[in-house]
Amino acid sequence: MATTTATVSISSRDLQPGNTLSINASSTLMKSGLTTGLELMEMGNHSIATGTEFNLSSALGEVNGSHYVYICNTTSNDEYYLEWGLHDTMIGNLNSGQWMFIPWNNAVTTDSEIEIEAKNGTCTFEYAIFKTAWTLPTAAS
Amino acid sequence: MATINASISISSNIMNYPTSINKSMTMKKLTSCHGIDETTGLRTKKFGEVTTAAVIVEHDELTDDKAHMVYVRNTTSAKDGFFYIAYNASAAGPTTTEVIGKLYGGDWMLFPYNGNVNITAASDGRAERVLEYMVFADGIVATKG
Repeated sequence: MATTTATVSISSRDLQPGNTLSINASSTLMKSGLTTGLELMEMGNHSIATGTEFNLSSALGEVNGSHYVYICNTTSNDEYYLEWGLHDTMIGNLNSGQWMFIPWNNAVTTDSEIEIEAKNGTCTFEYAIFKTAWTLPTAAS
Repeated sequence: MATINASISISSNIMNYPTSINKSMTMKKLTSCHGIDETTGLRTKKFGEVTTAAVIVEHDELTDDKAHMVYVRNTTSAKDGFFYIAYNASAAGPTTTEVIGKLYGGDWMLFPYNGNVNITAASDGRAERVLEYMVFADGIVATKG
């Protein structure tokens, strides 16, 4: 059985005066709440022009499943950022040099793909998706 | 200006060769080199038989269209219990497109958030469990915070 572990550390000495912030958490990623580790993954590195939308992952996986997504905007220009969302609903803005990590349940087939759009300039990003199960397309889309 | 650092480490042996992702960042305001310097604080919320769903981040407390960061963790050790985390006005269930994902016991997430719609949590209702969360804010609406 494969083992995938994700660990985060968040710290700040001056966000809350007199109270040093230190958050540390680690989790072993499992298939849909069971005791079996994830067995599929994909990784990539892309560059997209400003205003261009990119479907990071089509919704061909287990619906309402247990998947995890890591994205890092590797662009160095502070003005350039990535807008991310699910289907047509944009959720947040990922600044240059910043990363994100989320569980993704692929809630509704064809309506819950992860979308990324570059803003203010061409952005490069790297990503990794860890999956419970997946179906490859049978023809070019 | 505050400095908030966050690092991630992912290790996996799914593939034949080991995968190791290690990345650090300083949380910044949108399109700026200046760091995020506000927070709504670290909070916990207990979910059980009485409360199974709640808004954990109210968007009207935060400035719209910014680069807030949201941290959420299911503190329960048992893997079989989970929360649906959604970007929606009210808590959402499994077949709603606004659900981001299921946060199982011990799982965490850290994601950028534009502050335009609430972030909600809905437990599976099977057992008492605690959610831990914190917003690193790129602007708080003073009259709401």
